[in-house]
Amino acid sequence: MAHEAEGEADGERFIEVDHFQLPCGGEHLAGDLFHSRSLEGGQRVVSVLADGLSSGVEAAVLASVTASMALEYVEWNIDTGKAARILMDSLPMDPERHISYSTFTIVDARRDGRTRIFEHGNPPFMLIRDGALVPQATLSPTVHTHARWGNRRLRVCEFQSRMGDRIVLCSDGVTQSGMGSVAYPLGWGEPAAISFVLARLARTPELSCRRLSELLVDRALGNDGETPGDDITCGIIHLRRPRCLYILTGPPFDPARDRAFAALADTPGVRKVICGGTTSNIFARELNREVDMDLSLHDRNVPAPSTMAGVEMVTEGCLTLAKVAEYLEGGPTPLRNAATRLVELLLESDIIHFQVGTAVNVAHQDPALPVELDIRRNVIRRIATLLEQKHLKQTLTSYY
Amino acid sequence: MDPIEVTICAGTACVVMDGSQLALLEEHLPPRLRGRVKLRGANCLELCHGHGAALAPHVLVEGQPLERATMARLVARIESLLPAGH
Repeated sequence: MAHEAEGEADGERFIEVDHFQLPCGGEHLAGDLFHSRSLEGGQRVVSVLADGLSSGVEAAVLASVTASMALEYVEWNIDTGKAARILMDSLPMDPERHISYSTFTIVDARRDGRTRIFEHGNPPFMLIRDGALVPQATLSPTVHTHARWGNRRLRVCEFQSRMGDRIVLCSDGVTQSGMGSVAYPLGWGEPAAISFVLARLARTPELSCRRLSELLVDRALGNDGETPGDDITCGIIHLRRPRCLYILTGPPFDPARDRAFAALADTPGVRKVICGGTTSNIFARELNREVDMDLSLHDRNVPAPSTMAGVEMVTEGCLTLAKVAEYLEGGPTPLRNAATRLVELLLESDIIHFQVGTAVNVAHQDPALPVELDIRRNVIRRIATLLEQKHLKQTLTSYY
Repeated sequence: MDPIEVTICAGTACVVMDGSQLALLEEHLPPRLRGRVKLRGANCLELCHGHGAALAPHVLVEGQPLERATMARLVARIESLLPAGH
């Protein structure tokens, strides 16, 4: 209980959520679904992992209906427990196998630590605390049955999360990966998946939810011989102090504010990225620091990134930010360039503060340049909306 | 002889005006120039300010600006700086 005794204020807590998934080999759509919704101004996050029976489009529809129902009920202020019971009542059963057309796990997490988890049919959630697995028995789970549900059960856990707790959800595509192989004839198994997560966290305690879920899914993929034998999904909820990132972009409208703007690069406890050629020149001049470009990361569409002491990286402005918006809209991309690196930094952060200079770059107004060269404020607004709605990040924008 | 310093502008206007290909200069150098050019990038040389993008992309060769740079014009400028016989 030592962590709780510290009594962090809500403003010092953040619920980070992210996931990674791969569809079953040969399918374009995953039959698992991990969706989250931020409620009550970010004080509460509800996440659902639904696994539709079989794979492909049919499974995707079943999972989608299940997850959407759960999240809509919660949005309508229906108690999460009641929403879970409605799902149990309404989920059709496969007549031959006597199992639901979709399994589900619902996590209802609040920044103050109150956590409720409702599980039906998925591998049990892992609660990782202080680098170890919290045994399920200590969480006093209750198992609910009903005549209408046949032999199906709803398992409920209610507990107080502590700062740093991670809740890891995965579909059976993770725990049953490798099934039938020489190495894992009965599948990889839950204990092995737990050991993998603990080992990764021991090596890198600050791993982001996105990276940890990606690593777990990648390991399951390896177990399957690089072709997923089932949909593989991992979703993670992490209660922790927020990681803040500054995006410093655009020259200030009034050059007299250049020095104050540049001083933001030295804000302690915050990661910083400078986006913009003229902007980086202002920082270099005001802070008397070198900017060193890494031409090895050349990309035809995205200028190479640079380094500067005290900041994570320096990039070009409008083109790179437009690519960031494009990547955030379209999901992961195999390219490695300044924009993909910036996307990684954004997704590893919880609170993204856009510090935007509003001076108009006259060179960009030349009619010879393509109209797609959107003004900076529009691109930033687009990125902020995507981060908030799709990735449940908190964003702030200040203008200089 | 010291290498010839070439600085490519990677600012928005220069990249849009096809300047990004100039980062591949070393692959386009004739054999006699290979290893004799020191290539670096700049986030913005600010040479387009006041001129719009009409003169982009910009490059500095030994500190001297080259406007409307293409790979051919850049290689020619570098060659012009080498003494005859080198």
